[in-house]
Amino acid sequence: MKLSRPLYALPVLFSLTVGLYALQFGGRRYTRYSYSDGPTVPSEFYWSRLQYNSGYASGGSFGFRAYGGSWSRDFPKADNDCLIALRRLTRIHSPSALNVVDLDSDHLFDFPWIYAVDVNTWTFTDEEAKRLHDYLLKGGFLMVDDFHGTDDWQHFMAGMRQVLPDRPVEDLRDQDEIYHVLYDINEKFQIPSEVYVNTGRTYEKDGYVPKWRAIRNDRGRIMVAICANMHLGDAWEWADSPEYPEKFSGLAFRIVLNYITYAMTH
Amino acid sequence: MFEFFLKYPRSVYEQGQFALLGAWPKWVLVLLIVTAAAALAVLIRSRQAQAAPVMQSCRSWVIWGLQTLLAALLLVLLWQPAITVAELKPQQNIIAVLVDDSRSMAISEGGLTRQAQAVQALQSGVLASLNRSFQTRLYRVDAAPARIDSLQDLQPKAPSTRLGDSLKQLTEETSDLPIGAVVLLSDGGDNAGGIDPDAISALRARHIPVHTVGFGRERAAHDVELEETEVAPRALADSRIAARVTLQQHGYAGSAITLTVRDVSNGQGKILASRIVTLGKDGNLQTETLLFNIGGAGARTLQIAAVPLPGEENLANNTLTRVVNVGAEARRILYIEGEPRWEYKFIRQAEEDDRMVQIVSMDRTSQNKIYRQGIADAKELADGFPSRPEDLFGYQGLIIGSVEAGYFTPGQQELIHEFVDRRGGGLLLLGGQFALADGGWNTSRLIDLMPTTLPTEAGTFHREADPRNGTTHTTAELAPAGLDNIITRLVDDPAANAAKWKKLPYLMDYQDPGVAKPGAQVLANMVTPEGRKLPLLITESFGRGRTAIMATGGSWRWQMSSPLGDTAHDLFWQQLLRWVVSDTPGHVTASIPAQVLLDNGAVKLTADVRDPQYNPAPDTRVEAHILGPGGVSARVEMAPVPDNPGRFQGTWTAPKTGAYLTEVTAQRADPATGKVRELGRDVLTFLRMDGVAESFHTEQNRELLARLSAQTGGQYWKPEDLGKLAGRIPFSEAGVTVRETRDLWDLPLVFLILVLLRFSEWWLRRKWGIV
Repeated sequence: MKLSRPLYALPVLFSLTVGLYALQFGGRRYTRYSYSDGPTVPSEFYWSRLQYNSGYASGGSFGFRAYGGSWSRDFPKADNDCLIALRRLTRIHSPSALNVVDLDSDHLFDFPWIYAVDVNTWTFTDEEAKRLHDYLLKGGFLMVDDFHGTDDWQHFMAGMRQVLPDRPVEDLRDQDEIYHVLYDINEKFQIPSEVYVNTGRTYEKDGYVPKWRAIRNDRGRIMVAICANMHLGDAWEWADSPEYPEKFSGLAFRIVLNYITYAMTH
Repeated sequence: MFEFFLKYPRSVYEQGQFALLGAWPKWVLVLLIVTAAAALAVLIRSRQAQAAPVMQSCRSWVIWGLQTLLAALLLVLLWQPAITVAELKPQQNIIAVLVDDSRSMAISEGGLTRQAQAVQALQSGVLASLNRSFQTRLYRVDAAPARIDSLQDLQPKAPSTRLGDSLKQLTEETSDLPIGAVVLLSDGGDNAGGIDPDAISALRARHIPVHTVGFGRERAAHDVELEETEVAPRALADSRIAARVTLQQHGYAGSAITLTVRDVSNGQGKILASRIVTLGKDGNLQTETLLFNIGGAGARTLQIAAVPLPGEENLANNTLTRVVNVGAEARRILYIEGEPRWEYKFIRQAEEDDRMVQIVSMDRTSQNKIYRQGIADAKELADGFPSRPEDLFGYQGLIIGSVEAGYFTPGQQELIHEFVDRRGGGLLLLGGQFALADGGWNTSRLIDLMPTTLPTEAGTFHREADPRNGTTHTTAELAPAGLDNIITRLVDDPAANAAKWKKLPYLMDYQDPGVAKPGAQVLANMVTPEGRKLPLLITESFGRGRTAIMATGGSWRWQMSSPLGDTAHDLFWQQLLRWVVSDTPGHVTASIPAQVLLDNGAVKLTADVRDPQYNPAPDTRVEAHILGPGGVSARVEMAPVPDNPGRFQGTWTAPKTGAYLTEVTAQRADPATGKVRELGRDVLTFLRMDGVAESFHTEQNRELLARLSAQTGGQYWKPEDLGKLAGRIPFSEAGVTVRETRDLWDLPLVFLILVLLRFSEWWLRRKWGIV
């Protein structure tokens, strides 16, 4: 028994050690990883996913942003499938591998199109919020995806209000140019996550109705395209699954290709 | 001094003919001179052996030379040298005395006006001396000569001086009078820009010498003068345009002066631009550029001024006026892009702020889709890139992005060529993976309108290799020609502008555009990661239009990587695209030689008229409708210019000072229906100003006066030398003359030479110790 007490303590000590070690990569002390799954090939368009701090680990000071954080959900398969469709279906020059854009780096400005998921968890320092604000107003385009219900929306908007305090969010109409720039998308429906395969539900939490929304600049250009109560990333990622309905993946691909084409023409 | 030694005035020698009056033949004189030289040589040689040792060298031949010269001169005098010259017959000739009566002669120097100095000079004996031998006629001259009875009739108030016209008119009006000479008292301030060769010919035909007397300082002590201001006569509304001001100063080297541009069209005098510059060396011409926004559509009258400095002698030459016709019609550019790319988006975004330039674009988003933006209706570009002139020529500019040459049919390539050459449009080619040499443009029909000689091989397009880390940078910098160019001017100050270009974020890609052709201008260069310097922006005029290459598709980084609010990217593209379209003509292009008429309302209107396909349209009725100040209204029928199809001209005289608006319209009958249709119209403005030119170049123009007298056989005189004028006047071949023969043997100079020759020989012999 005397020997067993220290043995019981070992897992606890190990857990504490690992936890403390992991915190060294949180907040401002994280180590920058390269998340590409191949060498950089000079391209016109780089599929760029936004890397940000997740707030659940506290308000930014120790926000978790290493690989495996909220920002990286469905990465890299979802992004990769989308990139394959982009290469196949458009003339957009995009041979390079996937790209992750760090919100703390000014190289954000080298990629005028970025994709962010789980944005209900994002938190920004003032510097990060200003960088994203400048990025959008100078001509950058942000597509956000994969957040559901009232609480997620409020958390998303809390971050968005830090970036663009006074810009209204509006619902996009079928006639909006963004739905006709490449494909004429006249019918849209809720695009569920892969949870649909097991449950048959297209919604999560209380996000029953899909929200196709946007934030525009002074001239009406869409700067932020919002896909709320949906999960397009899963629709790309599970496009090759026999159980996941094709109609969801098909719409998800057409939507994102239109968004990218819109970003490169407006 | 001249007349002391040579007895007669210089003009006698210039106009007279040398003669030997001796009865014996001239060959005898030559023979005697040769004989004397030979005899002296034989004599010296025969005695050289007995001569002193010091003379047994070349020194004896120096003595021979002096003695030979003396003998030759004496022999020439025996032949009675003389000069024959034409002289005016006393009391039978008229001397025309012309006094400049223009406003510049009212400038006071040393307590007296220039004209008062001229009157004083004439009254201090000159006029009396002339009157003793000739009749004199007094004239005042400004725009034309007018006879006056007395010097008291002079009043220096005339708004302009036209010396050439006045002299020509004088010779015509006095063609039946024996004018022996003209005496012109003036400061040489001529507003016609010089003496017309016709006037010189008229004077020379009658052999009338013009003696000019210059008044006024040849250089002002303290003055700043605007020599010239260049402003484009046309502009698009809200254009940023440049005024290139050339100024000259005396007495203010190193001082700071403020240059301003005001819009005085509506009487408010709103300042459009203001810049403080440091004045250079005295007398040097200095050119400065002021950039400003011309504002909304309409006729603009601009006043370009140098704010007076303390102690300036002449303030009236600190201001120049120019007119600019600001067009209200927006220009359309067709932009074809072969793939979705960021450059396309950011060019369009930059142009959103420019309401005068509209981009109509077609972008090949996928293999089978073309996305159109900015189209006027659903039919526009529905069939792809235009194949008919009437479709393509509706645009004023054309941008070809990353599109292979092979995408265009041979007919479309020919059409693009004609778009620039015949229609006068602007063509801009961008760098890209399918552009320039990589797109096969180096073997296309358009090769001759490229501003560069494209590389012969592909592989000229390069992207930033690692944008995630930004390790291979291609940067832009201004080329010398771009330092002062409206396209590349991002900030007004040239030095700050060059620094701004150096600070621009690096380009996301670049393309080797080859070598600039002769006549092309490289406005900006780029330095590649390997350190190579390649042309980035090259422009060239071609036919009636213009072409340019911007050898990158990655300038969008200037927008994204500059601080928010930095206007460099947008300003650059707005200025470049305005350059592409602003000079593209319509079906009617009207022009006049100068938009500011100084003291003379005569204006020659020219119009180039083109049909719907921009071929010359000679079978057209062209008319100018002119509206001017005080209700002036006129219609001028313009006539075809022979051997110049499609060109029409008409003349008119603006009766009053002020601004004039001219609308030129062209109409012709439709060959099919016979119905008269308007081909097009153009508007231009001009301004008549009287009395302004007289305030410029107020220093004495001695060069003009001296040239005038030299070309007519007269002489330029300073006022203090006028006492000798009466002695010089008689030697003229104009009027009633007689040929006089004047002896030369008794010139004081001859006797002086004789004495010097003898003295030299004596002095040399003494120096050598043989005397």
